[in-house]
Amino acid sequence: MLQRLLPFLTLVALFVGLAVASPHFLTGTNLSSVVRQTAVINIMALGMTMIIICGGIDLSVGSILAMGGLLGAMAMEKGWPVGVGVLIGVLTGMLCGWVNGFLTTRLRINPFIVTLGTLGIVRGLALIISNGLPVHQLPKSFAYLGEGTVLRVPFVLFVLIACAVIVHVILEHTKLGRYAFAIGSNQEAALYAGVNIGLVTVAIYTLGGMLTGLAGMIEASRLMTGQPTAGQGYELQAIAAVVIGGGSLRGGEGTVVGTLVGALIMGLLANGSDLLGISPYLQQAIIGAVIILAVAIDELRKRRLG
Amino acid sequence: MLLHLRGIQKRFGGITALRDGNLEVEAGQVHLLMGENGAGKSTLMKIVAGLLTADAGEMLWQGRPVRFTRPSEASSVGIAMVHQESLLAPHLTVAENIFLGRNPTTRYGLLNRRLMMDEAARLIAAHNFPLHASARVETLSPAGKQLVEICRAIQRGTSLLIFDEPTSSLSEGETHEVFKIVRKLTEQGTGVIYITHRLEELRAIGDRVTILRDGASVHSCPLAELPRDKMVKYMVGRDLDAGFRRPAVAPGAEMLRVENLSRAPRPRGVNLSIRAGEIVGMAGLIGAGRTELCRALFGLDPIESGRIFVEGKEVRIRSPRDAVAAGIALIPEDRQRAGLARALPIADNMTIANLSLVSRFGLLSAEAERAVAADQIAKLRIKADSPEQLAGRLSGGNQQKVVISKWLVRGARVFLFDEPTRGIDVGAKAEVFETMDELVRNGAAVLMVSSELPELLQVADRIVVMREGSISGELPGRTTQEEIMHLATRH
Repeated sequence: MLQRLLPFLTLVALFVGLAVASPHFLTGTNLSSVVRQTAVINIMALGMTMIIICGGIDLSVGSILAMGGLLGAMAMEKGWPVGVGVLIGVLTGMLCGWVNGFLTTRLRINPFIVTLGTLGIVRGLALIISNGLPVHQLPKSFAYLGEGTVLRVPFVLFVLIACAVIVHVILEHTKLGRYAFAIGSNQEAALYAGVNIGLVTVAIYTLGGMLTGLAGMIEASRLMTGQPTAGQGYELQAIAAVVIGGGSLRGGEGTVVGTLVGALIMGLLANGSDLLGISPYLQQAIIGAVIILAVAIDELRKRRLG
Repeated sequence: MLLHLRGIQKRFGGITALRDGNLEVEAGQVHLLMGENGAGKSTLMKIVAGLLTADAGEMLWQGRPVRFTRPSEASSVGIAMVHQESLLAPHLTVAENIFLGRNPTTRYGLLNRRLMMDEAARLIAAHNFPLHASARVETLSPAGKQLVEICRAIQRGTSLLIFDEPTSSLSEGETHEVFKIVRKLTEQGTGVIYITHRLEELRAIGDRVTILRDGASVHSCPLAELPRDKMVKYMVGRDLDAGFRRPAVAPGAEMLRVENLSRAPRPRGVNLSIRAGEIVGMAGLIGAGRTELCRALFGLDPIESGRIFVEGKEVRIRSPRDAVAAGIALIPEDRQRAGLARALPIADNMTIANLSLVSRFGLLSAEAERAVAADQIAKLRIKADSPEQLAGRLSGGNQQKVVISKWLVRGARVFLFDEPTRGIDVGAKAEVFETMDELVRNGAAVLMVSSELPELLQVADRIVVMREGSISGELPGRTTQEEIMHLATRH
């Protein structure tokens, strides 16, 4: 039990430690910036949690994020309302996710390969569509999504919480979620039980894509640009958040709370390093070590349970 | 005395796997090691082979005390083990597998492929094995893989060879091949320890037998001095009624009818009818098309022609989903792989085929799920701590019951059992038969595919025999093994 709580305890310890070590940590400005910085990865990681639970992986989320943000921004640049722009971003992500799911299930290609391929394809298309140039002319009100506040709390926090609740309910309280666990745990047993594996897998990738599209719009809003080069390397951060939070790349394991904790641990490590003046080079190494450590501890726990 | 074990003990966490393991093996002798699943046979053998280390007790090898901490120490004195599951690298050749871990090298430190090939070919020829040194292991049959394992074990000049249930995945002909090899090895003075569940095959091979129960050696004697019923009694700890035949249930309405069902190459033109309350046995040689028929009925390999009726209504079965919707359940031979999500709770496993039953307004109700699972645990007398216990933690017999209860929750009415007793022990077998009996008493129909003729004769109301993809005949339940074999083989 103690080990199951370890990621959470680590997060608390990190929080307390940083509060003691730096006077700038426990300020509204700093905490808001941590929330804003981690929200994008967090929302992507929620989708990744579902995908990893059903035994898949999505390496293309960084590219999907860029494509979603880009197309949403282009719509707004053309004068379409902000709401429609955001919707276009989300739908773009959804379509990309569907393609990933479709290729994985229909052509029976390993998801690692499929999404490695779409990582390149989607990124390439984004660069072609935009001519490699960022989209700048965005309506001022669009900034609210990423930078706005409600009662001095960042608006994105509410978006994140809403997404987390929805994903949690899907995973723990719907057939879709249960089927995802079953497929990730033992695909053949799920097939024998009459589960429509193709449909469930495609649905999960599609939902994951939607969340990534939304994350893309938040990223675009924070930068107030649609960047075809946005989100490079984000896939690894999203996967790391899931894994630190107890998800298993073998499938069948993972929780929303775990993933949130995992993403926040990485966010606090980055923020803390900045505040304490630790070099960003060392930061990368620290986060890498934390990923390995977290998985090692989790494997030890599982082995002890037999 | 080749090997002498005295009072071996081994604990894993809170579980005692062995509390008093005793064994005496002579050179040139086949020593059978018997016992139910979980009796400690494999643990004891893993200690001998150096895969595990004993917590207490004494191991004498050729009279000298030894204690192995890794497999290489055991193999250096001449102890080798042929494992139940093939521990081979499928993409490498037979020769490479035989020499894996001790590949001969040239004096420059590079692999000496020619020497390795020649040595492997010589070894294979010396034993007359039907193998090619250059064949890739993935292309071999289960028996072929077993032979590679044996080659690997004897390549070093082994004095004691341990077989862990070598024949559980082999056909009858292949089993005889393995027996021949065992006999040849003992003639050359090798000691053999042989773990098996199959009571039928023992007489053909064993010299002496030791029976383990609950982690202790309970009996050891020459095989000839131990009649079969005594053997079962020692293994289970109580008498099992061996001559038992289940009383038939008055058959009800027709539950499953199959007309002229075909899918190339097998099955071919199969007609079959099973009524409520019936257990229909299905016999036949390996490759007769029995498993293929089950897979076709369950939509795993959809039929090419023919018609299927469930409870009088024609159904189209193109996928397992269709079969499940029609009320057909398949309990496959490989339950672990195809029946159970080991890392999920028992309750999740039981409800997965019918989540609508435990949903309220589209959301799963944990309460309803728990109630359904608790009900099944009580009904099937599953030994589990709670519905939340992980399915993988249960014993083999109880895992089997969880798979069955999944179908009961779904309300399946036609049950296809493919080799339901393969790899489970005597006590668990009796429980599986009881469960089948309860199923038909509650109005279900059961098709039981089995290669164990005595079991079919004990359980089935009728026995249908397949040969080369077609039904070659049908016999009443009270028939004989000879009658069945007559229909199963060409005549």
